Amino acid sequence: MDESLRQESVLRPMKLSKSKSDESFESIFHEYWQSIHRLLARMVIDPAEAEDLALETFYRLYTYQPARYESVSIRGWLYKVATNLALQSIRSFKRREHYETHAGREALIVADEDSPPQIVAEKEDRDYVRMALGQMNARQAELLIMRYSGVAYKDIAAALNLSPTSIGPLLLRAEREFEQCYRMLVQEAEQ
Amino acid sequence: MKNHLDDGQLRAALDGELDSTERKHVEECQECQSRQRMLEAQIRPTADRLRFLSSAHETNLSAPAAWKKFNRVKLAQKETSMFRKLFASPLVKYCASAALVIALILAFPATRALAGELLNLFRVQRVTVVPVDFTGMQQLDGVVGQDISQLISDSVTMQKEPSDPVNVASADEASQLAGFNIRAPQGLTPSRISVMGGASFSFTIDRAKAQALLDEAGRSDLVLPEEVDGADVSVNIPSSVSLAFGTCPEPSNESEAERERQREMETSGSPGRVYADCIILAQIPSPEVSAPASLDIAKLAQIGLEFTGMTSEEAAEFTSTVDWTSTLVVPVPRNAATNQQVAVDGVTGTLIERPSDDAPQFALFWVKDGIIYTIGGLGSNSHKAFEIANSLP
Repeated sequence: MDESLRQESVLRPMKLSKSKSDESFESIFHEYWQSIHRLLARMVIDPAEAEDLALETFYRLYTYQPARYESVSIRGWLYKVATNLALQSIRSFKRREHYETHAGREALIVADEDSPPQIVAEKEDRDYVRMALGQMNARQAELLIMRYSGVAYKDIAAALNLSPTSIGPLLLRAEREFEQCYRMLVQEAEQ
Repeated sequence: MKNHLDDGQLRAALDGELDSTERKHVEECQECQSRQRMLEAQIRPTADRLRFLSSAHETNLSAPAAWKKFNRVKLAQKETSMFRKLFASPLVKYCASAALVIALILAFPATRALAGELLNLFRVQRVTVVPVDFTGMQQLDGVVGQDISQLISDSVTMQKEPSDPVNVASADEASQLAGFNIRAPQGLTPSRISVMGGASFSFTIDRAKAQALLDEAGRSDLVLPEEVDGADVSVNIPSSVSLAFGTCPEPSNESEAERERQREMETSGSPGRVYADCIILAQIPSPEVSAPASLDIAKLAQIGLEFTGMTSEEAAEFTSTVDWTSTLVVPVPRNAATNQQVAVDGVTGTLIERPSDDAPQFALFWVKDGIIYTIGGLGSNSHKAFEIANSLP
């Protein structure tokens, strides 16, 4: 079992039946699909992989009911699983190698006459952002991704099993850590 | 002003996540406002870098389209995977015919009691399917699966081990070796004829252990009846014959077949492509199962169905609609396969199809004169199964 599921101590196997829980699942799917898919599309470069990870996120909700749908923050739970899947993808050796070796190459590929320099720089910058998130402490990376994806503190707190009042200090620490990682990566690339 | 906010609170203030008292303090405290502005400037580069995570562009896959895809691809893929895992698990590996045995055990109720203490189970006369959500059986992957395998290996006594398949030259030779008259389709030459030796075994149900496993699997709501404890069940599975048409994998034990399948997939693609023209016709006389008359098989069937994820009402409805006296119940993945009743070989059979872009499969079952027939293939050409079935003499 991977980390994202191991951390979910409240999860238990869901009784799969075509009943109220399925109707509830379908409505949750429709409500959150766009935001979860969008997050993964931002985090993972390959659109096909992003789509697959988004489907996997909902499959995990389908299989492992987090207690009862109505009693937990589904939004926070989905974002946490999606975030973990994205981070796993980024962290995997091949993937990281791909980012590292392709960050420059991708810039060259898209640096044709039709691509304004700022777009090229933006793409390269996002690659460094992804790499920095992948290098950080998992909990800090989760916090940053969830917050900057627009998840409210109370939902983040529920998903990460934290007190809502601790989110501010932890977020600030995570932002400082991120900035350090990011700058180190850029410096390494420039040398 | 006292009780200034700390940096963490000021960070939360930037996100509008303070409670009313803290918010009021910031509104009135110039020192805190000044520190908040400094903090904002400090984190601005990070905020700018991460801002793309919240951009509101719609993705190119709408929710309704994604929902269809989820049902079509994700559930089908996972359920098929669980289906394969279930039948490749140690539970089933322990005895190659356990799946059939389980189905048979589910197939006959205690109301068939004959004279004496033992219930002699009659031959299978028809086949039906029960759609099962195999995704709900992921417990079989872990410790519970190992415990179930252990419980079975502790309880089962093999009287006759199933032998490896033997290839023979003709249908007559197969009939002689298998001990029953096999039927070979007219006008078609099989690429291989194999005979698999029969098996027999018995087991004693240990209710306490079985109930403990259900509890461990998180299903303590399912309670095994007291009377199952100590029940002796014996099973006799006759020899079977399979006729292969087209390019088919060699008959082998489950693990070898699985390894072969993996190799083929790595080198040439899915089995559906590698063995697209392979069709196998299998024939086996109905196995015989004996169990105590006191064993309420319908009740056990209901528990088994609920374990797979059916609600109590669904399981009760299914068990009441099946003629348990003579029906072989075949579990199929709920979202990964379709099934329909069809006319075949002069009787009513069941066609199960698993549509898939990559690895379509089909299986046609029917029972005639005490023999169970199955025609299966890895392609989407199920019409050939009917051609073969209808050309049997």
